Amino acid sequence: MDKKQNKAAAFFKSKYFGYIIFGALLSLLPLATQAGVLKTSMIGIVGGTIIYSIVAQGLNINLGFAGLTSLGTAGFMGLGAYISAFLTENMGWAWEASLIVSIVICVLLGLVVGLISLRVEGLYLGIITLCIAEIFRKTFEELDPITGGYAGKKASFPTIFFGGWKLNQAQNYVLLAIIMVIMMILTYNLVHGQIGRALHAMRGSTSAAQAMGISLFKYRLMAFALSTGYAALGGVLYVHFFRFAYPSTWTLTLSLNIVAMVVIGGSRTIFGPFLGAVIVYSLQDLVIKRIPVIGDLNGISYIISGVLIILVVMFYPKGVINFFSQIKEKAGKSKAAAPAAVPAAQTESGKEENADE
Amino acid sequence: MATFFQLFLRSFETGAIYGLATLGIIIVFRTNALVNFAQGVMGMFGAYVITFAYSKGVPIVAAILIGVVAAIALGFVVDFCIIRRTKKVSGAGKEIITLGLMMVILGLVPIIFGVEPLKLGKVIADGSFTVFGANISYNSVLNIFFGIGITVLLFFLIQKSKLGLAIRSTASNEKTAKLMGVPTALVTLFAWAVAVVLGSLSGAMVAPATSVSINLMDSVQVCAFIACVLGGFQTFYGPVIAAYIIAIANNMLSYYVSSVWGTQILYIIIMVFIVFKPVGMFGKRTIKKV
Repeated sequence: MDKKQNKAAAFFKSKYFGYIIFGALLSLLPLATQAGVLKTSMIGIVGGTIIYSIVAQGLNINLGFAGLTSLGTAGFMGLGAYISAFLTENMGWAWEASLIVSIVICVLLGLVVGLISLRVEGLYLGIITLCIAEIFRKTFEELDPITGGYAGKKASFPTIFFGGWKLNQAQNYVLLAIIMVIMMILTYNLVHGQIGRALHAMRGSTSAAQAMGISLFKYRLMAFALSTGYAALGGVLYVHFFRFAYPSTWTLTLSLNIVAMVVIGGSRTIFGPFLGAVIVYSLQDLVIKRIPVIGDLNGISYIISGVLIILVVMFYPKGVINFFSQIKEKAGKSKAAAPAAVPAAQTESGKEENADE
Repeated sequence: MATFFQLFLRSFETGAIYGLATLGIIIVFRTNALVNFAQGVMGMFGAYVITFAYSKGVPIVAAILIGVVAAIALGFVVDFCIIRRTKKVSGAGKEIITLGLMMVILGLVPIIFGVEPLKLGKVIADGSFTVFGANISYNSVLNIFFGIGITVLLFFLIQKSKLGLAIRSTASNEKTAKLMGVPTALVTLFAWAVAVVLGSLSGAMVAPATSVSINLMDSVQVCAFIACVLGGFQTFYGPVIAAYIIAIANNMLSYYVSSVWGTQILYIIIMVFIVFKPVGMFGKRTIKKV
């Protein structure tokens, strides 16, 4: 069993090849819609999933690896989105330049949050970050000339290569997939290197980590800077993909949804946040709304997603990504007490189908 | 001076709303060791029940009673069906469960009550009087005294009654309390019911000023969370006092400093305060064992 597990793990984590294949498969979607196999609206839904998976990946570094709570992700995502929209639309900057500026500003603010995290911990830190996100959101509402206030801010599809190539929606979607793969590879390298080990140690015990010479100051700031950087990147991609940003998007609910993506998908994994984003964000649009009769009821998709989230956390606290290893674990245990485990295994396989859809 | 006094009284009405919502969060946090992110939508659900009954011609006081019964039922269902079965789930996991709960309620409300925003009337429809040059409606006075009254009643219950003793011992250490024969399951059941009732009442106070929609309690919930941090999670009274402070400071800053930036300034002040006193106003630092 060990060998198999290693093999499966090696396949899922197998360096960059797996990620690139995954990104290439996702990039095939526009071809499928052009051929008429899938609806064009799929591009919007899957594109949104990719964007949220990038943001969730950033939070994963913070929440999963470093063990630092943050409920301010939405605020930083919104900040990145508005800065980029303002720079490209009002100032006529190139998309790449606006991307870099947005990320740099958000990372600098993330460093400030990192400083706060040295003093404030756990729940208090979570709500302080919520406080910061609320400050941003109120500012988005009030700062009309830059953010467009309640009416929202318009943006257009990015023109890459410094104004050389104006993308359409399908090309923008492929760009998202490429960026996601790059971020996956970067994250993989990051968490398997020195920084990742330092973050792991810090999560386990700050005192032990410090005793081994890990600077809390350096790595906490780094964790927050990274996660806000990912959030800003997600925000920039969001505003240029959906071409609109409203202040009502960047609320506590969005931050909580991103936390849910990390926990449900499986924290401390590379594919986990993507799976989480699929379950939390796109499952309603992709599957539930298409079921006849039930799908037409207003609000039913919310209920099913909510129930699914509750069930996943109750029965698979390690996340959907660890599904198979957990089933095997249970199956191994159940050889001793076989009858009790049978119904459990059945519900597991039932839920697996849902999760994969 | 009259304006100041008027603002002050208004703040107490807002404070009553925040205070009840905060108390709902803190009572669940202390007994279940989880932050209930669904507190806002639970209150919204209760407010919807009240408003729905009211729109069908039920007198307002009876409608509120119906709302309270529905809130208690919701609290029981949540504790019985979900929270009780998550003993093995980690803290963060439980909070995600309340997030799932939030989505379920957000989906249920339009199915049960329709998508049109509803309108709730005041308990005392009209009439106002003047004190020290400040004009205040009878309904606001009712809200102020109701908010303070409920809070005092609950504190009295927690401090003096046998149930309160059970709550306090569960809050201090659930395992030990259970070993000592405290019916902790009953305590958490009670806590959830009380939390939903408090949320619903605070929802019913907010509702007349706006229309009842899905977003009714969003801003109240954020304020309640911040009040929990400002007051410190370790006591029952700290967050409630902090809720009143936030309400007063917010109104004053919005009026005297800037109506646009008042709230942001207040949040920044709170953040700075927390950085210097990381456990809140009334919290005690717990010493971590290495």
